[in-house]
Amino acid sequence: MADKETVIGPETRISGEVRGEEDLIVRGRIDGKVQVTQTLTVEKGAIVQADVDVRHLVVSGTVVGAIVASESAKLTSTARVVGDLASPRVMMEAGAAYRGRVDMGDIAAARAAVSSHAVQRLAANEKAAVRPAPPRMATPAKAVVAGKAAAPVAPAAPAARSAVAAAASPPSPASPPAFPRVAGAMGAMTPAWAKKKIRRR
Amino acid sequence: MAKEKDTKPMANTVIGSSIVIDGEITGEEPLTILGTVKGKISVAQSVTVEAGATVEADIEAQTVTVSGRLTGNVVARERLDLKPESKMVGDAKSPRIVIADGAGFKGNVDMDV
Repeated sequence: MADKETVIGPETRISGEVRGEEDLIVRGRIDGKVQVTQTLTVEKGAIVQADVDVRHLVVSGTVVGAIVASESAKLTSTARVVGDLASPRVMMEAGAAYRGRVDMGDIAAARAAVSSHAVQRLAANEKAAVRPAPPRMATPAKAVVAGKAAAPVAPAAPAARSAVAAAASPPSPASPPAFPRVAGAMGAMTPAWAKKKIRRR
Repeated sequence: MAKEKDTKPMANTVIGSSIVIDGEITGEEPLTILGTVKGKISVAQSVTVEAGATVEADIEAQTVTVSGRLTGNVVARERLDLKPESKMVGDAKSPRIVIADGAGFKGNVDMDV
């Protein structure tokens, strides 16, 4: 057990990419990308601002980013999650705060969408003078296959891209394209337009 | 002997053997690495690179203990410990540096003298 478990302590922060084939417990903070073939547990007080690709996900803390959980995703009562969530089994306890789109269907398509997110984020991170081609161009086949699942990402993407272009100089960590503002409390995170959209649905 | 107990996850950070981290780790608590880390490590307390671990990173910490493979420059404010079987390539800067019999090391040593 002790062997096959990674713990990110409460006073530790990782910015970058975390990959692995074991359970990952986050009590601190991860910015970037998380890809684990087992369970990712985000404990209360922990922050994961990353695209997440795992088997099981249990959130008691805060997660901001596109999420793919290939088997199950559980949001406990203290969870704060912003970002699209794709998983065949999704559990949300009373008290969990969530904003985003849930997809219990095509995981492969969602995964393709997430990886194109990741490409986009990397491009933003590099903040090179020459802006690379949009990720959808880089993975045309996947985008086409993604079809329905990729579509909801598309409307938000141009806005995010222009935001990135406008704010080319500040070296802030790239936020997920669909949710440009990530700092601050839950309420402050939600732009007016997004609230409207949710209400209309 | 008691070391084996120490590596069990407590309040600390443990990077397991199958984990690969590409990026930067910063923190205020002890860090134990059994997996692979590339990038940069900056920790207020101790960093332990266990046997079997691979680290390609510059490390800044209070104490650094290496039993695995480490490539990168180390600044240990208190102590650098290269255990037998360890391999390190890079510059070491620390007031106290211990290189055990059997350890492999290539790089500059700066003890601030």
